[in-house]
Amino acid sequence: MDTSNPAVLVNGDLLRSYVGRRVRTVVQVVRPEAGGLTGRSTDEKQIVVKGQMPASLTTFVEVIGVADSAQSIHAEIVTNFGDTFDTSNFNQLCQLANGDFRHLFI
Amino acid sequence: MMFSESQFDGGSQIANSPATAAANRDTFGLVPLTIKQISEASQSGDDKSNFSVSGADVVNVTVVGMVSNIVERNTDVTFTLDDGTGKLDCKRWLNEPFDRLQMEDIREGIYVHVDGHLKSFKGEKHVAVFSARPVTNFDEITFHFVACIHNHARTTKVQKAQVDAENINSTPKTPIQNGTNGFVSTISSQTSVPFTLDGVKGVDEMVLAYLQHPANYGIEKGIHTDEVAQKLKLPSKKIMESLRTLENDGLIYSTIDEFHYKACEASN
Repeated sequence: MDTSNPAVLVNGDLLRSYVGRRVRTVVQVVRPEAGGLTGRSTDEKQIVVKGQMPASLTTFVEVIGVADSAQSIHAEIVTNFGDTFDTSNFNQLCQLANGDFRHLFI
Repeated sequence: MMFSESQFDGGSQIANSPATAAANRDTFGLVPLTIKQISEASQSGDDKSNFSVSGADVVNVTVVGMVSNIVERNTDVTFTLDDGTGKLDCKRWLNEPFDRLQMEDIREGIYVHVDGHLKSFKGEKHVAVFSARPVTNFDEITFHFVACIHNHARTTKVQKAQVDAENINSTPKTPIQNGTNGFVSTISSQTSVPFTLDGVKGVDEMVLAYLQHPANYGIEKGIHTDEVAQKLKLPSKKIMESLRTLENDGLIYSTIDEFHYKACEASN
């Protein structure tokens, strides 16, 4: 059992509170770039992701990595999350996981 | 999801009668938990083989996370599961052909649902897996975490209800009276009181009381969420959250569309 290095569930808005910390989020891929991608968070904010990408990207990806600014993440793991994903549910989950129910997560 | 309402009844029975703990073990369903919750589970019972999370007994758990460190042996497969809140050791005994077959689909780096028995060995917790299946639709991950939250909220609500039942309070509780509306509703007259959590206390009660008011209850097509927000002078977002909670608790339901709600019962 090891809970020493959790990744906080964030959306665009919450990212700024966790700069320097390990985070995880789901973004819609707007534009793949060299060495990363530009994504749109579930609360419609732009997030730049830098790091190793899977060979091909689906519409949505999960990014786990370290937040290096309020709008960017240095990714450790990028996972394809398919072409359909309920962004509003995920967005609400982020708020719950950082609000009243934080203690269940971090 | 495989968890059901009955497990909570089992949980509350356990709280009142420890002697029947062993007998009730078999009635427990799968409890959705985050790995962080599992790490904080305390051991209860005389033989220290029972676990307790948020005060309720837990035997079988369901966890969703990313697989790593797969080690295949003749008799078993072990792997680590990471759900973002922690890492958990899992062991799948290969007893039946089904076990081997199912584990063939489990590869490094994929997300899986793991159902299993929570166990402890030399102070470390792990899960004896009886089912491991890959996640196919990633909304399942969001759903799992929401289910963990829901399970926690319900378990703590059941306990609070028990504690409150023990401290019988004959004073009826009333919501904050809004001067311009002047509607009054005694919550104690309702059969199921929405015990809410810190931070959302008054709002759920107020929304429910408004919808249960006889005049509003009588409106067949339900009350529009904007009207509720307006009349209670609360932000729409808070109203929507309350409506969702109340709907999940079976106290209200949506009528003609997702913006119209009606209570299941009127207040007296």
